[in-house]
Amino acid sequence: MSMIEFHDVQKYYGKFHALHDINLEIDKGETVVLIGPSGSGKSTLIRTVNRLESIQGGKLIVNNQDLSNPKTDSNRLRQDVGMVFQHFNLYANKNVLENIMLAPRIVSHMPEEENKKQAMELLDMVGLADKAQNMPAQISGGQKQRVAIARSLAMKPKLLLFDEPTSALDPEMIDDVLQVIKKVTSASEMTSLIVTHEMGFAKEVANRVIFMDQGHLVEDDESIAFFKQPKTVRAQQFLSKIISH
Amino acid sequence: MQTWIDALSWLNFGFLLKGLAVTLYISLVSIVLSFILGSVLGIIRYSKIKFISAAVGFVIDLVRNLPLLLIIFFTYFGMPKIGYRPSAITSAIIAMTIFESSMLAEIVRSGIQSVSEGQMEGARSTGMSFVQALWYIILPQAYRHMIPTIIGQFVSLIKDTSLATIIVVPELMQHAQVIYGQNANYIVPMFAALTLLYFIICFTLSMAGSYLHKHMAS
Ligand SMILES: Nc1ncnc2c1ncn2[C@@H]1O[C@H](COP(=O)(O)OP(=O)(O)OP(=O)(O)O)[C@@H](O)[C@H]1O
Ligand SMILES: [Mg+2]
Repeated sequence: MSMIEFHDVQKYYGKFHALHDINLEIDKGETVVLIGPSGSGKSTLIRTVNRLESIQGGKLIVNNQDLSNPKTDSNRLRQDVGMVFQHFNLYANKNVLENIMLAPRIVSHMPEEENKKQAMELLDMVGLADKAQNMPAQISGGQKQRVAIARSLAMKPKLLLFDEPTSALDPEMIDDVLQVIKKVTSASEMTSLIVTHEMGFAKEVANRVIFMDQGHLVEDDESIAFFKQPKTVRAQQFLSKIISH
Repeated sequence: MQTWIDALSWLNFGFLLKGLAVTLYISLVSIVLSFILGSVLGIIRYSKIKFISAAVGFVIDLVRNLPLLLIIFFTYFGMPKIGYRPSAITSAIIAMTIFESSMLAEIVRSGIQSVSEGQMEGARSTGMSFVQALWYIILPQAYRHMIPTIIGQFVSLIKDTSLATIIVVPELMQHAQVIYGQNANYIVPMFAALTLLYFIICFTLSMAGSYLHKHMAS
């Protein structure tokens, strides 16, 4: 059963052709890592999946909903598709607990008590139960990202999208966040698509690796095979550069 | 000295305060109406609704580039020609509201735009609608940034009500004119009284604005 299906998807920013003929299928429960050089279209691709970016051609099916159909309800789609951003995007006007509780309350109308209980459990899971009453400005980057993960989990998503979740973090904070992501993605029913430059982490969590370059999907491989030896020269070069760093 | 005492006799001072009451009434009603209308127009501008946002933008730009006095003349002398004859006070309120709404609409639009795009995306990615994201996340942050600018605009509004004296609205400025119209020696004392009264009101409002801004920032 597939969670995401791209069929010849095209994305344009005005005249600029950002995604060329993307064909990709991701099954339920898979953890897929998306890599590629800067400007290759990784963010663009991942953002089409929850419709933060529209597509201009082809067919895109996510969680059985056809995103190429303008009538498809984006808000409904996003209830099942969580997203974790590079810059966290926690609500600056809400404390940590409220960040997590807001969407379940106003989107899925979860009873207040159950909502609070769930939020505290999620905070506990990401190791931040003691920060429930803090404002986002009062916690570190790594803590913000863990709250952001808890916030997206509060909607009980079937699919989680991560766009460079650790790129904005100080090195000593990265591990805590990666630990949490590992825990979340290893749940067997969760499907995840992760853009990252952390190759050690990618190797550990990914079932599959997708390599993009200049708006094209260049390589799509089993994780083990990819890290042993990518098939394309372009991916080999990219991997050797990023690992030698 | 005697001139000052006569100029500000209880009778005259009471008459000034009646003018002040009208000034405050016009200001308060215009502030409430233009705050609501300006917010709605600013949000429509920001929302990029096809055609509507552009049309609203055009009207806002037009009104913002007119002298307020022209709008006051329009509501007082122009509207009766097209079938509606408001009182002088109502004319002033309508004119102030039209003018200030267009000013506030621009303040609100740029205030919303100053909230980082990530806040909207974070909210939308959890399944919130555009309106929910605006209401719960974007507007509270935007208005907090905007408080000083909005209060500044309200202070101009209060000062601008003095223009209504031209269509003989019985407000503060006009009542002062009536008093010194009877005795030219009262001109300086009246200006002194006007200075003091406008200053007290506007300065108090500014201070309240700063207090509110600081209080909400923490
Ligand atoms: N909103 C936009 N308008 C116009 N062009 C855009 C927009 N967003 C991205 N692009 C362009 O599309 C291409 C792909 O950008 P994208 O952000 O998807 O790359 P990326 O692989 O995520 O890069 P990075 O690793 O730097 O995050 C780039 O050439 C970029 O300049
Ligand atoms: Mg990117």
